[in-house]
Amino acid sequence: MLDFFTIFSKGGIVLWCFQGAGVKESFTGPVNALIRSVILQERSGSNSFTHERQSLKYKLDNEFELIFVVGFQNILTLTYVDKFIDDVQLRFRDRYKNELVQKGALMLLNNSFEFEDDFQRILREAEESSRTRSTTYMRAFQESEKSKKTVKSMIETKGGDKGKEQGGKKSKSSKKEPPAPEPAKVEKPSPPGQKTLQNGNQGLTQEEIIQKKREEFIRKHTAGPTEKPSGQRNKQTKVFPVFDCLCMPGFSFYANKHLVCLPPPPPPPPKKGGGGGGCGWVKGWVGSKSLSQEDMEPVLEKMKEHLIAKNVAAEIASQLCDSVAKKLEGKVMGTFTTVASTVKQALQDSLVQILQPKRRVDILRDVMEAQSQRRPFVITFCGVNGVGKSTNLAKISYWLIENGFTVLIAACDTFRAGAVEQLRTHQRRLNALHPPEKHGGQPVVQLYEKGYGKDAAGIAMEAIAYARNQAFDVVLVDTAGRMQDNAPLMTALAKLIAVNMPDLVLFVGEALVGNEAVDQLVKFNQALADHSMSEKPRLIDGIVLTKFDTIDDKVGAAISMTYITGQPIVFVGTGQTYNDLRSLNARAVVGALMKA
Amino acid sequence: MAADTKKDPGLMDERSVENTVKQFIEYVRKQVEEQDPVFLISVVVALAAIIITCVFLKYFLTSKTVRSAVLLVGLCDSGKTLLFSRLVSGKFKRTQTSITDSSAPYKAKSDKGTTWTLIDLPGHDSLRAQYLEKFKSAARAIVFVVDSAIFQKEVRDVAEFLYVLLTDSVICRNTPTLLVACNKQDITMAKSAKLIQQQLEKEFVFLGKKGKDFEFSQLPMRVEFLECSALSNKAEEGEADIKSLEKSLAKL
Repeated sequence: MLDFFTIFSKGGIVLWCFQGAGVKESFTGPVNALIRSVILQERSGSNSFTHERQSLKYKLDNEFELIFVVGFQNILTLTYVDKFIDDVQLRFRDRYKNELVQKGALMLLNNSFEFEDDFQRILREAEESSRTRSTTYMRAFQESEKSKKTVKSMIETKGGDKGKEQGGKKSKSSKKEPPAPEPAKVEKPSPPGQKTLQNGNQGLTQEEIIQKKREEFIRKHTAGPTEKPSGQRNKQTKVFPVFDCLCMPGFSFYANKHLVCLPPPPPPPPKKGGGGGGCGWVKGWVGSKSLSQEDMEPVLEKMKEHLIAKNVAAEIASQLCDSVAKKLEGKVMGTFTTVASTVKQALQDSLVQILQPKRRVDILRDVMEAQSQRRPFVITFCGVNGVGKSTNLAKISYWLIENGFTVLIAACDTFRAGAVEQLRTHQRRLNALHPPEKHGGQPVVQLYEKGYGKDAAGIAMEAIAYARNQAFDVVLVDTAGRMQDNAPLMTALAKLIAVNMPDLVLFVGEALVGNEAVDQLVKFNQALADHSMSEKPRLIDGIVLTKFDTIDDKVGAAISMTYITGQPIVFVGTGQTYNDLRSLNARAVVGALMKA
Repeated sequence: MAADTKKDPGLMDERSVENTVKQFIEYVRKQVEEQDPVFLISVVVALAAIIITCVFLKYFLTSKTVRSAVLLVGLCDSGKTLLFSRLVSGKFKRTQTSITDSSAPYKAKSDKGTTWTLIDLPGHDSLRAQYLEKFKSAARAIVFVVDSAIFQKEVRDVAEFLYVLLTDSVICRNTPTLLVACNKQDITMAKSAKLIQQQLEKEFVFLGKKGKDFEFSQLPMRVEFLECSALSNKAEEGEADIKSLEKSLAKL
């Protein structure tokens, strides 16, 4: 049923692998895709990933730096996979503990891990358990608890808990009898049942009242935080300590009844690391303490709020913190490092990693490449209203001119009043700064416009053809701003991009945006993907972050945008003059983000 | 008398300076003799401790870190981890994309038999920079692994990474040996080392933006182009063809 299972180290060496019968394709491709999309992009919050027709689930072992990955076909819904991975991980760790503790690449290379038998055994157990569990039948109404309660008992009043308990107890006692319940109780909310279920203690005898009161008193003073042992709520595992210490003779009646009827308590979860209460903190200082979820939670909560205060979108912050928690769980801390410092360092590394571009960003080199192929390099700017598309387009054309290229600006914003005139003004100013005489008689910037009200995609196509004829190096296409919810406009934009196939699609976003960034980018990408005819749709290739000078250190928008798209921030706009164009310095941004 | 007072002003200043110095020394001596000996000893000890600490700090901070690491760098999927496995243990191991570094000792096949630490760095773009930061100062040599089969498509990415590496300030200062290993020679479409060298030199002309022709021999450090194949023709069982790489490493 499984396609493959693989265990490999974080350094990249595969320790053991299993390939299912009849599976011919190598699993290296899907697993690499998993690593690149999920782990490296800090999306390890949820532990499953879909790649083409396969579903991959994975688990990180941070103590020994291993990764466990299982892959199976998408159409199968295997319920046992999560528990199966956990079991395999525990078994592998137990069996090879001695070797793994040595921790070195040499150890991994020299040892061969013969895990086949154990793996098959665990797989068989998991498959069998899933099979047996699946044959449960639904309970008939008569067997359910609800049929045993009267309507009156379910009404909550001031003493209503006791009333419910009474009902619960009565129903439990009836359960001990042969399973056929008394229909009388169900059908007639009549005196026989009702007398005992009157509000509060009216229906009880004096003795029972005293017993109940005593029981409550003891419960309050011995069991501390445990909740009322209501019979109906059988998910409570905290009920049992109360009854364990209730060994007074008068209460054995109640204790026995509840202990018999309720399901056995689940085994306590295995404790990971940490000593007993007293010397736990010492271990935290001396080292060899492994991080657990509970240790990290308060620190991560604080970091999440800190990130949100710095204008990172809320869901991005929470996904990031989940991912960092997954990465650190079970890791052994060094000496004299606190939980807070480890978590902060890990978060900082993740943020730097997110901001590092995943591919080479060198527009000038690409323009030269296009030049050698005798075609213009086309850049399209898209974004919502008022983010600074036209301004930054002018700045980028200034930068390109400074580097010796000729630019054609295509005015595809045929909607906003004054858009074409704005671009014409920029063209004049740029030509004044770089007069044609110095550049061989040809003006360095030209504007291609067809007025207002025309089809933007058509203008773009004509502009690119004109640029090819006149041997322009770069074409900058300015589009109208549009809200991400406006379906017809999004369709028009998608058509422009699909038809003209620009070399670079830049999304212009302002740094002031907060949670909106997530919505904008998701919807823009969705629209571009939906309306493209080809198999590989052109999505957003890069981000221009504008109005960066208006935020002091609330630089979270950079993180939100890069996290959502996975694309790098190509330019940062820091003002309204031609010189205010920068590239992103990941370390500086992360420093500003982590500063208190 | 007048002649006496009309002495040379320079001489007069000197003598007065001498007097004041003498007086000061007398004063200090008197003070020192008056003080409690225990107090004096403690002051002397404290001063000595401070001086010794300063000397040690200077010695440790400015001493050159011993450079004994050989770094394996390159683009993603160029074959670094498999090459690492072959060099260290000679075995073939299946590999996945690395997300952390691995290091192991490597004994060079030379007469001296020096042991280097071979460090395999992840090639993925988002991790490359931070791992290079961490290890570049300890590098005695850098092995830049190139995928010769798909080199033509990646030539700009390879050139950019190599350019960043060569213009790094720490690397310019230490000038470690650069070995460009053109990997995956077992594939038929693989380019030869000479061709790759020429292509990179052409790319560097664009990146350097100086307009002149560039040659690797112009660099201050020793650069060598060699061919190798971590995966032999017989896939898993055969011996890898890394003899030229091992020879170059032996020459370090």
